[in-house]
Amino acid sequence: MPESTAHLLSQAILAAGGTVPNAVAAHSRIPQPVEAPFATADTVEHDPVRAIGLGTAGTPPSEIAFLDGVQWYGVAGRFGLVPVVRGRVAAAVLARQGQELVAQFVGGEEFIVVPVDRLPGEGITVLEQTGLTLLDSRAGDRPHPIADVYFAARVVESRREAVELDVGGKYLEKDRGGWLVVDGSLSGYDWVDNRTQLLGVVKSHETQFLQGLDLETALTLPSQHRTSVFARRVRGRRRVYTWYLRLWPPEGHDLLHGLVRLERPAADGVVEEATAVSRWLLAERAPIAAPDERWDRLLYPIRQVEEYLRARAGGWT
Amino acid sequence: MSDSFGSAVVGRVVATENLPAGPHQFHFWTATDTSLGIGAIVRIDDPHGKTVYAVVVDGRAYSDLVTPLHDVVAAQGDPAAAQAPTSRREVRLWTAAVLRQVPDEPLQPVPLTDVRLATVDDVERALRMDSYVRAERGTGLPIGLYTSGGTSAPIQLDADFLLGPESAHLNISGVSGLATKTSAVEFFLTSIFQTFPAQKGTIAAVCINVKGPDLCFLDQPGELTEADESMYASLGIDPRPFDSVHYYAPFKADCVNLNTLRSHPELIGSVEPLVWGLHEVLDYHEVLLNRDDIDAKSDAFIDFLADRVVEKEFRDDWGTNHRVLTFADLERFFRSVFEGLETAGRSDMWRTHHMATMRKVRNRLINISVRCKGLVTDDGAVNDLPFGEFQDRAVYVLDLAGTDQLAQDLVFTRVVSKLREHLERGDLGVDHVIVFVDELNKYAPNDGPDTYVRKMLLDISERGRYLGMVLFGAQQFRSQVHRRVVGNSGTTVFGRMDMDELATPGYQVLSAATKIKLATLPKGELMVRHPHFTQPVFLKFPRPPVLPGPIGIQRYPPSNDVAFEDAVVMQLSALDRSLEAGRIKQALGGRREQDVRRALLAVRRVRPQDVLGYFEAALGPAVARTRVDEVMSGGPALKSVDDPYS
Repeated sequence: MPESTAHLLSQAILAAGGTVPNAVAAHSRIPQPVEAPFATADTVEHDPVRAIGLGTAGTPPSEIAFLDGVQWYGVAGRFGLVPVVRGRVAAAVLARQGQELVAQFVGGEEFIVVPVDRLPGEGITVLEQTGLTLLDSRAGDRPHPIADVYFAARVVESRREAVELDVGGKYLEKDRGGWLVVDGSLSGYDWVDNRTQLLGVVKSHETQFLQGLDLETALTLPSQHRTSVFARRVRGRRRVYTWYLRLWPPEGHDLLHGLVRLERPAADGVVEEATAVSRWLLAERAPIAAPDERWDRLLYPIRQVEEYLRARAGGWT
Repeated sequence: MSDSFGSAVVGRVVATENLPAGPHQFHFWTATDTSLGIGAIVRIDDPHGKTVYAVVVDGRAYSDLVTPLHDVVAAQGDPAAAQAPTSRREVRLWTAAVLRQVPDEPLQPVPLTDVRLATVDDVERALRMDSYVRAERGTGLPIGLYTSGGTSAPIQLDADFLLGPESAHLNISGVSGLATKTSAVEFFLTSIFQTFPAQKGTIAAVCINVKGPDLCFLDQPGELTEADESMYASLGIDPRPFDSVHYYAPFKADCVNLNTLRSHPELIGSVEPLVWGLHEVLDYHEVLLNRDDIDAKSDAFIDFLADRVVEKEFRDDWGTNHRVLTFADLERFFRSVFEGLETAGRSDMWRTHHMATMRKVRNRLINISVRCKGLVTDDGAVNDLPFGEFQDRAVYVLDLAGTDQLAQDLVFTRVVSKLREHLERGDLGVDHVIVFVDELNKYAPNDGPDTYVRKMLLDISERGRYLGMVLFGAQQFRSQVHRRVVGNSGTTVFGRMDMDELATPGYQVLSAATKIKLATLPKGELMVRHPHFTQPVFLKFPRPPVLPGPIGIQRYPPSNDVAFEDAVVMQLSALDRSLEAGRIKQALGGRREQDVRRALLAVRRVRPQDVLGYFEAALGPAVARTRVDEVMSGGPALKSVDDPYS
């Protein structure tokens, strides 16, 4: 019986010292190009970057809250070639009390995104009469059925980030002394005090800050290990400290399985706390966020914030 | 937080395509720390003025865990791993069955809105009790307290539907030994006797005690807890034992010691002997004769005896006059007929009856006084229930626990028949009578031969409500009782049930959660179905205000059987404590036992002021008995029976 191609290939890779996943998904679409695949980083803790074992999981702080946002958009109609995109965004902070998550701040908005310059005057009038905010997609002068929607979606995304920053800011203004765990990077939090116990958990790895051996160390981290802390720049000269953490064993999976990048505002003591923070984040692996396909990197409380927002939003009517 | 509706919002109705809300059933969720449980009554108000009352019949909880494997992965295979910092989102989803919609029409699906716990008034309306409790001539009979979610509300049955004429009868099921069936009936009777509506007339109860001492101390106060007394107060019932209890028990085989566990010297005086003679038995010969015995020929001959011989002047073909009043007279009659036929050398036929048939009937009838010795006497002395003079709010206990099945069947059949006869004529003394029968599955089994007793029970079940005769039946396994008996019971009560029993088809209408609640029901809790209640309702009832059998037996241990003379002394002393044993024994001197028994029965029946004087009068003057050897003095000596050849 002839060997399958998958088996033949796996055997060849393994024989040469490579690794193979347990299962190989077959894709038919080419992935979208990454907008900013590379960026620079500054050495902070070690040079070169090291893999640091964490041991067992720690105990998460008793005062902790989680922030996330959701977004929806859809083409509601067209004036000729001009798409009218309806957008809806929401964000919330859920604080953990005991083992329960309780909503602290919730925000959201619904709006219309159009390339205003290309919209006929009558269209603007009727859309304004709906009572919804009208936002410009800045899609340029030349119509494109896909690019027009893409630019509108980017506006929706930026509004979602704005709402997230709004509810996060309201939470931090209260100076509760606890931790706020944010889904994603801290790029928008340049205004917060460096001493703030703010932690960004980045699941996607579109932008790589390391290179060479440092990158290999980061992307091949064993389970329950972190990398050395390094720094990346946000908005001019301000920096955030960041490091990689492997939540789940990558064996049998692809490189990024269980790999998150953590961010904190650059400040004294952050490097010293990196191991402790990483250890208590390991404890957040339970419960797992399945059946979400990002369960290996998505924290359950963050998923709960999403579920909460989706439940509040109801249907797309 | 409570509002204008009187109680706090505890849940919200939800409906999906797969789990829709209907006019009879719906689903709602609550917080995980809710006080709600299976059996709780809830209320829903929609903005258009419609109010829905419902009872919780099922509950489920689940989290967002898709597969148990995810939990294993999260705990990394170690069940003892540290608890997750965040608990999974959990839902408590309840299923409720609609009890009532106000207004009734149009009947529509339940509104998808807030759910509140029922208040006391809500419980009354939900169970439609307002129609008979609040009426000008109310017919409510309290039977327990609904207690759920912090609400404690009296539950009342409609007397018209419990005791007729609209519907009637009560059937109670439950496993033995959990103080539910008998205790519940004792409490129900207490409640009925105290709250039976005046406009419905008079009522009495006949309790047939077929096992143990359960019903032997209904006139003695029991011990109640504060919680019990509080429940009595809530229900408006005075926790006192029955004011008027009359005990009846057959004698033991010695025909002098009463066959009852209520034989303690302090109590035996209140137990009446239950003694029947030939007349009382003959009409119910079908009960006593095996089914195989009853053929057309035997039946015809028994009818001949009943019509022509018993209690009649009858002259047989050989010139002997008979007046058959007792089994002894009957034996003499048979002997005369058989000897006459043999002497005359006639054929085996007498007045169209074959000799073999007559001998068979004779053997069976005469043996009755042996088989039911203590209940049936052959000397004509009779002591019966006071048919025609039943008292209002009186309990008549027939203690048959020590008698065999045959005697129990006979007593049950005859007592129920007599009650029915008197109720039909309207001369029982009361308008309604409750007959309480335990072990109903034994008397009216679902399968087995079609006995006279079962026919009787079927008749009560189907026609009793028109007469005022109400059956309170109890059994461990309802499925083993004849379907028409349980089916005609308007009110059904369940204590803790056996799971195997709950798996039988009769319980298919109950939800799985309700069945499990029934299988784990604690003492003092019941589930009740009543014609006004569209769904079963769980309730609590207090301990009955009477001494429980097991405690009564400890407090009043039964006396040992005593010799004939001592038994008479004890029974007369119980009627008049000033009597001295010596005086009684003096009165007994040399009297025949059957004469003494007859006199004793007369005293017990009349209960005179002068007990001893009446007893002596009933005995009559002593007749000097002459010894046979004195009569035969001077004649040849009789042969010794020890040596027939001497």
